[in-house]
Amino acid sequence: MGFIRRNSSSSSTNTSPCADLRTAYHNCFNRWYSEKFLKGHWDKEECVAEWEKYKECLSKHLEDKNLSRFLEAEGLSRIPASSSK
Amino acid sequence: MVKAYSQEHTYKHPWERVTSASWRKFADPENKHTLSHILQVDTLNHKLEPESGKLYTTRAITIHAPGPWFLRKIVGQDICHCVESTVVDAKTRSMQLATKNISLEKYIEVEEKIRYDPHPENPNEWTICRQETRIRIKPLSTLASMAEKIEQKCVEKFQQNSAKGRQVMERMCKYLEAESSSRGISV
Repeated sequence: MGFIRRNSSSSSTNTSPCADLRTAYHNCFNRWYSEKFLKGHWDKEECVAEWEKYKECLSKHLEDKNLSRFLEAEGLSRIPASSSK
Repeated sequence: MVKAYSQEHTYKHPWERVTSASWRKFADPENKHTLSHILQVDTLNHKLEPESGKLYTTRAITIHAPGPWFLRKIVGQDICHCVESTVVDAKTRSMQLATKNISLEKYIEVEEKIRYDPHPENPNEWTICRQETRIRIKPLSTLASMAEKIEQKCVEKFQQNSAKGRQVMERMCKYLEAESSSRGISV
């Protein structure tokens, strides 16, 4: 016994509707990281348009409350990895 | 009940290439099979500090973590969400990742910290990776006797997965090395 079928509803955070936007942003980010950021060109953020579109999609589809508070969070440096709640 | 272990690994690739590989390892389709427990990775937030050259990123990692059937029955799901916070300091050449689970935390807490630094013996060519993992099973009365066994299983599973992670990292580094030599980009 104990058969629990995996289906899409078992995940409370199915963000796959954003898959294309996610790929576009991550590709842009990876390129920027390797070709600019690592070479000392960290004065300017890039991939802003890609990020805005992706983030908008995420905020529509991210149903998990725990995760969405990270989307809203400003000042990431204040999220210490060791704090629990 | 807490289990903790640490690992060290030297990549014979420069820090720039290893950290590029770290960003790409979950997304690359070639790695999907090896890292089949990773279902989805989303970037939730990011911040660049232009003065200091520090990059802060928060990502959500969705993991498929099937346990024994009785555990699934109690827990009610076999999907686990983790939050990964990364700080890259381009000036000092360090990358620090901290990952912890934010679901199932009533039952188990897993915290993984990874650091990538230039290897002290060969800082321009090699990278040292230090990894620390802490696993804590919350003692539930019904599970107390089983908890220790489950904890051991978790540790084994994590060690298997981090070995897979290293394989993938090595492959990504080779790929980036080949790509950079064909395009003349030094990463």
